[in-house]
Amino acid sequence: MSRTNLAVENDEIRSAGGYILTVHDLYRHFGGINAANGVNLNVGRREIAGLIGPNGSGKSTLFSLVAGTIKPDRGQIHFDGHEIAGMSPHRIARLGLARTFQIPAMFDNMTVTENLLAAAAQDHWQGAHERAADTLSLLKLEHVADNRASDLSGGQQKLLEFGRVIMRQASLILLDEVTAGVHPNIRKIMLEAIARLRERGISFLIIEHDMEMVRNVCDRIIVMDSGRVVASGSFNEIVRNSEVMQTYLGRPQ
Amino acid sequence: MKYRWVSLVPLIAAIVLLALLPALVNNYWLRIATGALMWAGLACSWNMLGGYAGYINFGQSAFFGLGAYTSALLMGDPLSLPFFATIPAGIVVTAIFAIIIGAPTLRLRGAYFAIATWAFAEVLTQFVNVVDFTGGIGGLNLPPFLDERFFYFTMFAAAVLTYLVTWALFERSRFGLKVKALRDHEPAAEAMGINTALVKLQTFLLSAVTASVFGSIFAYWVTFINPKSVFGGDITDQMVVMVLLGGLGSLWGPAIGGVGLFVVNRLIWMNWGDTAFYIAILGAAIVLVVLFLPNGIVGLFAKRPARSGTVLDKAVNRLAGGEGGHS
Ligand SMILES: Nc1ncnc2c1ncn2[C@@H]1O[C@H](COP(=O)(O)OP(=O)(O)O)[C@@H](O)[C@H]1O
Ligand SMILES: [Mg+2]
Repeated sequence: MSRTNLAVENDEIRSAGGYILTVHDLYRHFGGINAANGVNLNVGRREIAGLIGPNGSGKSTLFSLVAGTIKPDRGQIHFDGHEIAGMSPHRIARLGLARTFQIPAMFDNMTVTENLLAAAAQDHWQGAHERAADTLSLLKLEHVADNRASDLSGGQQKLLEFGRVIMRQASLILLDEVTAGVHPNIRKIMLEAIARLRERGISFLIIEHDMEMVRNVCDRIIVMDSGRVVASGSFNEIVRNSEVMQTYLGRPQ
Repeated sequence: MKYRWVSLVPLIAAIVLLALLPALVNNYWLRIATGALMWAGLACSWNMLGGYAGYINFGQSAFFGLGAYTSALLMGDPLSLPFFATIPAGIVVTAIFAIIIGAPTLRLRGAYFAIATWAFAEVLTQFVNVVDFTGGIGGLNLPPFLDERFFYFTMFAAAVLTYLVTWALFERSRFGLKVKALRDHEPAAEAMGINTALVKLQTFLLSAVTASVFGSIFAYWVTFINPKSVFGGDITDQMVVMVLLGGLGSLWGPAIGGVGLFVVNRLIWMNWGDTAFYIAILGAAIVLVVLFLPNGIVGLFAKRPARSGTVLDKAVNRLAGGEGGHS
């Protein structure tokens, strides 16, 4: 495969100044599967980077590696001035990294409001009740504020997953297919919320299958295949790269 | 969140009624009330970890027994310490053991913790059985003190304190949010910055020392203890069934289950003596809960009872090896 648009030159990564996140030569296998097979990528400060690639290419695994939920076999992850590879997830979270789970990871027996409060219980408790109320209204979840999380619809759970990330007051947010399978109205709510958070200087790395959304939201697209980053560039550059498009569209999800 | 204050009304009513109880009933029933308060407290102690954190402890009687034996040993020769000085001693001894058991195993999947607590209680029982200073199988006598009112009010104070602490910590504070979050989804709780291993250990410590306090009071009350009477596995079994029947992970469930089952136990004993009937009732209660009442008796009063992802589901998933409370 040609690497014309590969924006992950090692020199660039090592001079991590402008980046909030740099991933260098990251490996992780599950049995015989190399889910991360030498991943190199970076996310700039205030950047919204889109991460695309066929199913099973290792996108969610990369998120879990960066967030500390699973440990890398080897490689480096630099986040906001800290080397975080292998660090426990709660310490990484406290450094300002927030992530959503592809399958909504609800606190089932807690109410929607309690789910939001729990996200701030550790390190952002000051003003958490007010922010939870703001988040409920931003995501239009006020009417289910006192419902158990497990009683929400799939789309509402995705919104709540997103809402908890907002409560984290993070500097980098990883979103794993938050808009997949949600109603266009809910999608619109999320897009507005992302736009507002970006104004506050928050960076994003977004796994997204909806190309329309990728084009509208992301500053840059990173393409993964078989546990590696195979291309990176603007939306137009990526679309013009026919091989990348074949990789991506030739194996639909 | 105004609705939570409603739960204070029955609490105050119950406290007033219970405070007046010695003036209303004879010593026989006062003893039963003392026992009911103890079981309500013990069930609550088990529920702290089992219900709020979703970690099943099959060795809680070990901590009840540690409190009982610490008090018995310190009140006897040669130290003859006053009773109330032995309670904190029991707490310290219990806390040390809880850290030794909990710190390594609470990091692992829930099934390991369950097995470790069960094995710990077994080993401790055998140890107390064979060593000399605990009196072996023969047990220990405590200085007799035959004031039923004293024990009633002491147990009452311990129970009220237990429920107040549980309410304040697990229902009203952000600590409770962290505990419930890790119960329902441990990886997500970690992603919220919560040090789940630490929070679990703190909860386990509180649960263990609470059982130890009731063990201390129990030993002084009955004036004689042996390994079977304070370390017996049936003590843990009863706590588990009381909590499941009353409502796992709720504030009032353990009180309802604890008082209810203990009173049933005494009524059976009065009418038929020491039969296996009570054991059959415990078994039936478990079947009832597992098949029809995942949220226990308190679930019957819930406006929107949980159907999926219940607290029971979370705890069972852990026992079955599911990671962090979800399958
Ligand atoms: N916990 C796991 N155990 C075993 N295999 C896994 C695990 N997580 C991911 N994989 C495998 O790793 C590969 C990458 O998966 P994933 O990161 O979920 O891809 P994507 O998010 O891009 O669809 C897949 O082949 C998947 O089956
Ligand atoms: Mg995925």
